[in-house]
Amino acid sequence: MTLLPITICLLIVPLAGFSGYLVRLLAMIFLWVGKAGCWNILSGMTGYIDFGAVGYYGIGSYATALLMSKAHAPFLVSVLVSGLVSALIALPIGLPTLRLRGAYFGIATLAFAEAMKQIILEFDKTAGVRFFEGPHGITLPIGPGNEFFYYFGFGVMVVVIAMTYWIRRSKFGYALRAVREAEQAAELAGVDTLSAKVKAYMISAFFLGLIGGIETYWLTYITPHMVFDVLITIQMVVMSLLGGMGTVFGPAVGASFLTVLYELFHRDFPYTYTILVGFIIVVVVLLMPKGIVGTLRKR
Amino acid sequence: MLLFLQSLINGILLGGIYASYSAGFSLIFGVMGVINIFHGEMVMLGAFLTYWLFTLFHIDPFLTLPLSFFLLFVFGYLVQRFVIHRVVEAPPMISYILTFGIHLIIAYSALWVWTADFRAVTTSYSGLNATIGGVIIPYARLATFGLALIVVAGLYFLLKKTETGRAIQAAAQDKEMARLMGVNITRTYALTFGIGAAVTGVAGSLISTYFIIFPQMGLSYTIMAFCVVVLGGMGYIPGTLWGGLILGVVQSLIATYLNAGLSGALTFILLFIVLIVRPAGIAGKGIVD
Repeated sequence: MTLLPITICLLIVPLAGFSGYLVRLLAMIFLWVGKAGCWNILSGMTGYIDFGAVGYYGIGSYATALLMSKAHAPFLVSVLVSGLVSALIALPIGLPTLRLRGAYFGIATLAFAEAMKQIILEFDKTAGVRFFEGPHGITLPIGPGNEFFYYFGFGVMVVVIAMTYWIRRSKFGYALRAVREAEQAAELAGVDTLSAKVKAYMISAFFLGLIGGIETYWLTYITPHMVFDVLITIQMVVMSLLGGMGTVFGPAVGASFLTVLYELFHRDFPYTYTILVGFIIVVVVLLMPKGIVGTLRKR
Repeated sequence: MLLFLQSLINGILLGGIYASYSAGFSLIFGVMGVINIFHGEMVMLGAFLTYWLFTLFHIDPFLTLPLSFFLLFVFGYLVQRFVIHRVVEAPPMISYILTFGIHLIIAYSALWVWTADFRAVTTSYSGLNATIGGVIIPYARLATFGLALIVVAGLYFLLKKTETGRAIQAAAQDKEMARLMGVNITRTYALTFGIGAAVTGVAGSLISTYFIIFPQMGLSYTIMAFCVVVLGGMGYIPGTLWGGLILGVVQSLIATYLNAGLSGALTFILLFIVLIVRPAGIAGKGIVD
């Protein structure tokens, strides 16, 4: 097992006197691994491409922001409630959309996430209240330092990876992969594909909401444009694709690679970074569609 | 009453704009099953082509249309032939991700080269209107509406009446069988993509004469094209007119009587409901599976 030493190393990094920058960078990577992992649980395993995953991240962000700033709820409670709210919203959204096939599911989820953003942007003005604060955004109480989010991010990442590992080996995971390979055949063989898909969708939404809450507390200020940014979904997709869709460690590899690339290029050459990501996508799709982890494992 | 009529006319003209740049999207999806995420970038390229020809050489925007058609055709043909065609046998999701990668490359290369500045093509006749009984009709938008009708009718004619069109239809219905009947699938697909790109580029050229253009405008056009095409029925070309008109009129009425910001939210809610209740579109003639 190479995982144990890595885990121990990662656990002592913040205590070992490394620079705050490294702690911050690693915490960011953990949270991206978590997000990409969430996307991977539904889309990587079933092949249903969710273009609206950021919707649940945004819902979680707003739930935490509202609970902490307006109800003065403690962080842990807010974050857990955020996950639950996301999962509960995922149920009525998932039931109809997951019956749609392929392209239609992608468009419907994209429409869902965009609609959520627009609703939060316009709700206050339309209803004449001050609740979501529209485009002005919400400011949260100042939180603890980077180490706090380092450990939270690490915890979430471990849970998401363990969850993926467990799902892949369970009967539930086989149902999900059957959906990807031959959905109609799976249905004929007696697999309740809709229920499997909805469960995966809700699990993914729960953790996305949770991560949204954690990052909101870290950022201390959010607007609808920030937390419903379609680029967040896109990063999740690219990270999973690059690492290997449907694999346990694929999203972790993809997210680490892309976050480091982002740190290296984005500040000085923001456009180059995005163009590079575009080329990576094209090359990965054309030359190694199974991603880094999938390609290595085949050998 | 005048307000309502004006709002209705605005909506119909807006619908024409939507239809003009969505028809190519529907064609490409209908034939190849590709959801083309860089569709909006083709609108952007057409718009910038017109902008530069107008700004540098003072060529009238309407005279740039044939060039826009030709260049975007070549672009679409080559991209399909050498990139997208390589994943033609892969599951459809692979093609979304691939076209998404191309979207990033084009949009951000354009941003790099042309910067994020907002630009506009202002001709001597920009802003000229016809006024009929108090209702204002801008000429440029009326021209786009005419273009939308020509594009839809032209594509319809092409598909139904010409040899190439029948080959495209055959390829769309049953790729293997069409191949056995002697249709060159690779060429037909590339041709289809080229035609889709060409009409989209022309729509972009016209749009530059009354909308602000900037390198990152593409994604929002792609999303609107999604909405229009879903409403009208995916792959059903005349449906883009219906989809465009419904969306245009609904948005215009909401903006007039409620709140312009809400029209975005309601568009997506409408899209979401139509997808679930009636995935084949309003006319019920779209491709469902």
